[in-house]
Amino acid sequence: VTQDQAVLAEQEPSPIRLGPVGWLRWGWRQLTSMRTALVLLFLLALASIPGSLLPQDGINPQAVSQYYAAHPALAPFLGRLSAFNVFGAPWFAAIYLLLFTSLAGCVLPRAFRLARSARQPPPIAPRHLSRLPYAVSLGTSATPDEALAGASGMLTARRFRVRSGAGWVSAEKGYLHEVGNLVFHIALLALLASVALGALFGYKGNRLLVAGDTFANSPTGLDVLRPGRLVSAGDLQPFSVTLERFTARYVSAGAERGQPAYFNAALRYSSSPGAPMRSYDLQVNHPLIVDGVRVFLIGHGYAPVFKVTDGTGAVVYDQATPFIPLEQAGLTSAGVVKVPDARPEGLGFAGVFLPTAVGVNGRLASAFPSPLFPRVSLVAYAGDLGMDGGQPQSVYNLDISHMHQLAVRPAPLAPGQSIILPHGLGKLTFIGYRQWVSLAITYDPGQFPALISAIAALAGLVLSFAVRRRRVFVRATQAEADAAAPTLVEVAGLTRSDAAGGFEEEFAELVGQLGGTLDRPVRDAPVLVKGE
Amino acid sequence: LDRLARLARRPVAVALAACVTAAAAASCSARAGGANQGFVGAGAATSHYYPAGSRPVAPDVRGRTLGGQPFSLAADRGSVVVMNFWGSWCAPCRREAPALAALARHYPQVRFVGDDVHDSPAAATAFQRAFNVGYSSLNDPGEQVALAFHGTVPPQAIPTTLVIDRSGRIAAVVFGEVSYIGLRALIGKVLLT
Repeated sequence: VTQDQAVLAEQEPSPIRLGPVGWLRWGWRQLTSMRTALVLLFLLALASIPGSLLPQDGINPQAVSQYYAAHPALAPFLGRLSAFNVFGAPWFAAIYLLLFTSLAGCVLPRAFRLARSARQPPPIAPRHLSRLPYAVSLGTSATPDEALAGASGMLTARRFRVRSGAGWVSAEKGYLHEVGNLVFHIALLALLASVALGALFGYKGNRLLVAGDTFANSPTGLDVLRPGRLVSAGDLQPFSVTLERFTARYVSAGAERGQPAYFNAALRYSSSPGAPMRSYDLQVNHPLIVDGVRVFLIGHGYAPVFKVTDGTGAVVYDQATPFIPLEQAGLTSAGVVKVPDARPEGLGFAGVFLPTAVGVNGRLASAFPSPLFPRVSLVAYAGDLGMDGGQPQSVYNLDISHMHQLAVRPAPLAPGQSIILPHGLGKLTFIGYRQWVSLAITYDPGQFPALISAIAALAGLVLSFAVRRRRVFVRATQAEADAAAPTLVEVAGLTRSDAAGGFEEEFAELVGQLGGTLDRPVRDAPVLVKGE
Repeated sequence: LDRLARLARRPVAVALAACVTAAAAASCSARAGGANQGFVGAGAATSHYYPAGSRPVAPDVRGRTLGGQPFSLAADRGSVVVMNFWGSWCAPCRREAPALAALARHYPQVRFVGDDVHDSPAAATAFQRAFNVGYSSLNDPGEQVALAFHGTVPPQAIPTTLVIDRSGRIAAVVFGEVSYIGLRALIGKVLLT
């Protein structure tokens, strides 16, 4: 392409003043040059570096908030540059849109050229066949027309595309080379389009689901949703998933003690409201697929169940509360209980859940991930939880800036045990625990087309390498009537790129066969010239 | 991991395309960014009013209230209904609660109903006591009621508030926290049509 463009550029008279159209054409040529595409590809790689160095909104909004707190001067500046949302940043979009345009602008005209050349008939035979890389002349007693008819028939039988004229036959074979090339180029464009399809219409989400609970695949039902650019709330496939129970088994002895051996999440799901419920055993790397959406099991943990009664005797909290694992060996998990509507004061609890609680040097730890000896250890607070100001809060953090700690018995709670709060503020009971799973929900409509495109691109490439385009020309002329061989038959061959080799043999075989079809052939000092 | 979803990205994409061509990246970074910061910040909301004739039909949602009473939206055909999707854990819901409770008292002829998602009846009942909410809410921990609005005007965030007209069609929606004045204006408009 660059060569063609260079040639085109040379043909242009060196302009002193480019008109607007001239500038546009110049710009388009620059954009669609291979060099620009490579520079853009490099820029794309460079531009994604901040995405892995800095916390990203879509992946970990909490970490972004922490970064803002830690770097109050730098963070707002970076924020204005979209450094916390690199893959959604306008400048990132600018790079990939330019890259797409550049590649499309480079590949599309090439694809059209290839399509044209694949349909082209063979060219007229050159006048002087002996100048071609492979050339042989034969003498025969057959008339030129008979010789040409024989050559034409033989070439057609060998599946050449044949064109005849007065005194000549030209034939071409190996169009599959162009077809392979064309397939490769189209598949390359399709691959780009598939990636774009995924980025525009796909989405990713996360949801933490406690055993017994149900979630709906909707913007409000997902904890985190990262939609593609053209995804709206109504585009999410309306399925629901219920976690019936979660089973985890761990290695109980030996060096691998505590390592997970088996996870299974028994799910029930329906593909839309009112559709029949189905069952599915969800395991690691065996996603549930609903309507093309994949639901992966990516994590698990414990959700202790608490019941809180406030100072007025009302039950103000009664639910399983997901705690987040701090470590994997014993699944010591941390979490908070928020009771903003308790009376007379709002209540908050922060603490840890220990599946197998043991005392190590006077400190509590969990010795095993299974709930063999479950205990909960909590610190209690009373006051304003800061939730009424309307500022969204994480459900895993307790803002204690307007709360005071309550003096309660520090002993860890066993299931069924309670903390009695001082000053008649109420009571918390540790009822028991449930398990939760964390699910990753991904929809990428471009995934399958991308796979097909990649396979097609590879197949096209292999085809274009394996098959070579070659031309064979035959001219028959009347020699002197009294000669031993009244007709001179010239045969010449031409191949474009003989990377795979083998044309020399094919040509020799062809000439041999042609000699066989001619009546009384006389080989008149065959000249076999091997081209450069 | 706040459970606030955000507005559809369709306008963002259009804005982005405009930015790229105009090369005025700075002017549009605000909406394009912040995937999960949630557009439902304090006081921030977007609302949409559907003129009569272009109103999507609301589904007939059924369920049980936090108090255990059966509820059917279709039974309220003939009155204007305000449906508020909320949770006791959701800070913007807590901030808008006094406005909703006051409007429910101000418009006795309008049926107010809540849809309590991702929540437990105990915490939700404590919320209703704390904010003196006079109307009942559906118990919807698995968002099945919210999901029934798929294909019409699905809630895009918690809170979301729908105003449904007398013929059971969705006349207005507020994504995010409502204000007393803003919601009163929408209800007044729907009552007149």
